[in-house]
Amino acid sequence: MNPRTKKILTLAISVVVVIGVIFALYLYAGKEPFIRTTLSGLTLGSLFFLVAAGLTLIFGLMDVLNFAHGSMFMLGAYMGWQLYTNPTFIFGLLPTILAFACGVMLTTVMKPYLIRWQISEKWQNALPKIAYALALFAAIVGFLGLDILGLAKTAMVAMTTSTAGNPLSEISSQEPLSVYWYRPLLMLISGLLVAFAVSKPGDKTEFAPKEKVLPKLVIPLVLLILTIVSTLIRESAPETLLLMNGNWRFLIAILLAVASGFLFGAITEMTLIRPLYVRSFFIVLLTLGLSYVIRELVQLLWDPLAYQMSRPPLFAQSGKAANLLDWLRNGYSTIDISGVTFPTYRLFVIFLGIVMFIFLILLMTKTRLGMIIRAGVQDPQMVEALGINVKKVFTVVFAMGVGMAALGGIGAGPFLPIQPQMGDQYLMQGFITVVIGGMGSYVGAFVGALILGMARAFGDYFALKLSLSPALAEASTVIIMIIVLLVRPQGLFGKKE
Amino acid sequence: MSDQNNQQDLLVVDQIHTFIGQFHILESVSLSVAKGSITVMLGRNGAGKTTTLKSILGLTPPREGKIIFDGMEIQGKRAFNIANLGIGYVPEHRAIFRALSVLENLKLAERKKGDFDRNADFIFNLFPDLKRLYKLPGNHLSGGQQQMLAVARALVPDNKLLLIDEPSEGLAPILIQQMMEAIRVLSEKTTILLVEQNFIMASQLALNYTIIDDGKSVQSGLMADLVNDPELIHHYLGASIKTRKELEMNHESQD
Ligand SMILES: Nc1ncnc2c1ncn2[C@@H]1O[C@H](COP(=O)(O)OP(=O)(O)OP(=O)(O)O)[C@@H](O)[C@H]1O
Ligand SMILES: [Mg+2]
Repeated sequence: MNPRTKKILTLAISVVVVIGVIFALYLYAGKEPFIRTTLSGLTLGSLFFLVAAGLTLIFGLMDVLNFAHGSMFMLGAYMGWQLYTNPTFIFGLLPTILAFACGVMLTTVMKPYLIRWQISEKWQNALPKIAYALALFAAIVGFLGLDILGLAKTAMVAMTTSTAGNPLSEISSQEPLSVYWYRPLLMLISGLLVAFAVSKPGDKTEFAPKEKVLPKLVIPLVLLILTIVSTLIRESAPETLLLMNGNWRFLIAILLAVASGFLFGAITEMTLIRPLYVRSFFIVLLTLGLSYVIRELVQLLWDPLAYQMSRPPLFAQSGKAANLLDWLRNGYSTIDISGVTFPTYRLFVIFLGIVMFIFLILLMTKTRLGMIIRAGVQDPQMVEALGINVKKVFTVVFAMGVGMAALGGIGAGPFLPIQPQMGDQYLMQGFITVVIGGMGSYVGAFVGALILGMARAFGDYFALKLSLSPALAEASTVIIMIIVLLVRPQGLFGKKE
Repeated sequence: MSDQNNQQDLLVVDQIHTFIGQFHILESVSLSVAKGSITVMLGRNGAGKTTTLKSILGLTPPREGKIIFDGMEIQGKRAFNIANLGIGYVPEHRAIFRALSVLENLKLAERKKGDFDRNADFIFNLFPDLKRLYKLPGNHLSGGQQQMLAVARALVPDNKLLLIDEPSEGLAPILIQQMMEAIRVLSEKTTILLVEQNFIMASQLALNYTIIDDGKSVQSGLMADLVNDPELIHHYLGASIKTRKELEMNHESQD
């Protein structure tokens, strides 16, 4: 059989099987439960996709299995929830982070001069180490006064006690502004020292042409201004934010979650993962360890409790919307979908997944970055030989993957308990999704996530209906994975090695 | 070494040692490439020719020695920085990107926006087939077409030096002719360091040669002299190389 007819035949068979399964489920369950369960499956599938898409992109390009992905999902939920519910903590932290970033960003300005510095090899080795040590010292001094734990505790107290009242009343005031300035300053110095160290002073093998300095100053300057602004507004901003329309606040929470995920991913890749690409087994251990570190830190900051995030107003009004327009206008918590009452927030989660899938398709097929990623999956060396900085692409892809996991986290926030282990299950299902869909394929991740979401939802449904153990639903995903591996070891959309 | 003066050398490789893992692959390779001509690198299978090209590009950075390109020391720099100085690379085994279309393969090689548009006419004149195929994914191309694409990709930005690794490998005779012609045209625009097992092709194209054997440089000079030294050819390049007489006959039938 020629490969083309074979391809068409497999496609036809799979379509028939899928339609058959759907029809059988429909007949067996009846219309209403079928629609309800399908929608639940789509909601789950959407979250699985957001986790799996990052996993599969990162694995496809860099051969890295990121076991910290679930923790990054959880971190996204915490960041978004914090901003949405009590942003004091975040605004307290923001100036220091911005100041540090400003310092680090000056690397591009310093490097061309520092590498041309004539110093002996001894100093070339010693100077970066000294600079790192000083940077750590400056950061510690900067943070010692800043009571992060205390801040987080206020956030928590606000959550646990203010269910009845206005969260505004729980915001504790902080130290006077004058005391506050020295922290960003010390963090700026710390960032500058890091920039000095990564510039590798005196290292002639480094490459950095002397170009115009002014364009390179733009980003640090913007960051500096943001630092100053955020220091000034750090007390008034949380109030303003809490007083603003909850829907907008939720949007900002989503953006913050994604941005912090992106940043966290970028920093993780550059500092922890990059040195280990030649020893991929250690990366597995590293990311596994990192996931525990993140969880412990989160428990330290927020205590090992489960928090409930309230839904934004658009999804909060009790009542049932007759249709989409009715819902968007009045913000009901449920909506009527051909006779089935379904929570509107879950509809939003489905929407998030679809938007991200479309975004990924456009990114991968229409942009230069997508082209570089597709080429890099096959042969990163050749991409580098074309004059493309592959290391930077790795960082961006890792950051993007983590950003998507964080988006999943904040997306799940309003209907999952927010707690340190909330990402574990999603990491697990994410990996199964990737295996089913095929390592490295984002289309595979989408299809795999759909299948898994459906399996979970219908598994739950049947377990309930036939009074079987609910563990059946969880087991079903693994069973599907095994079947797929037996029939198609490379996954549904994977390429043969 | 050739008696050219150093001013005219675009690339000088000076006693480089390259390791891959624990293996000492290159043990003192030196060569120079004169500006504006083709230099061919010869040597048996596994001699270290590909590794030399990769060392120049920084893909397998040398541990010792110097590499000077266009008056600048480049050893130890990152590969993408070296490439951006104006070096194009055509790898062996037609390493084009299979998941990308012909057009995307070419676009990806742009270093500045508009590189491709500027050179598109030149590229499609050289390889008219590619114009017809530009929408096809790379894995649908035939071997010869892939090889042309691999060369074309190196022509998208304006490179000062091209490193071409066995462009005739596995091609049908008629395609070898076409590839030779293309490389001849290219050499009018840029300097070329060519690795070529097909001695006939190499001898007709190159001005200078350099021989590597077992990871070491053993000899270099003018191609015209090498053609007259069948013993040397036999010694380093194996028995498969044709004798001078056959070569000359071949020359005549070509002209
Ligand atoms: N990744 C590697 N690990 C170990 N040894 C390698 C590796 N790559 C190449 N070598 C060895 O290095 C030597 C030189 O290889 P290289 O590919 O440079 O040879 P070549 O002259 O290009 O050969 P050919 O004509 O077959 O292309 C060979 O002996 C090869 O076995
Ligand atoms: Mg080779």
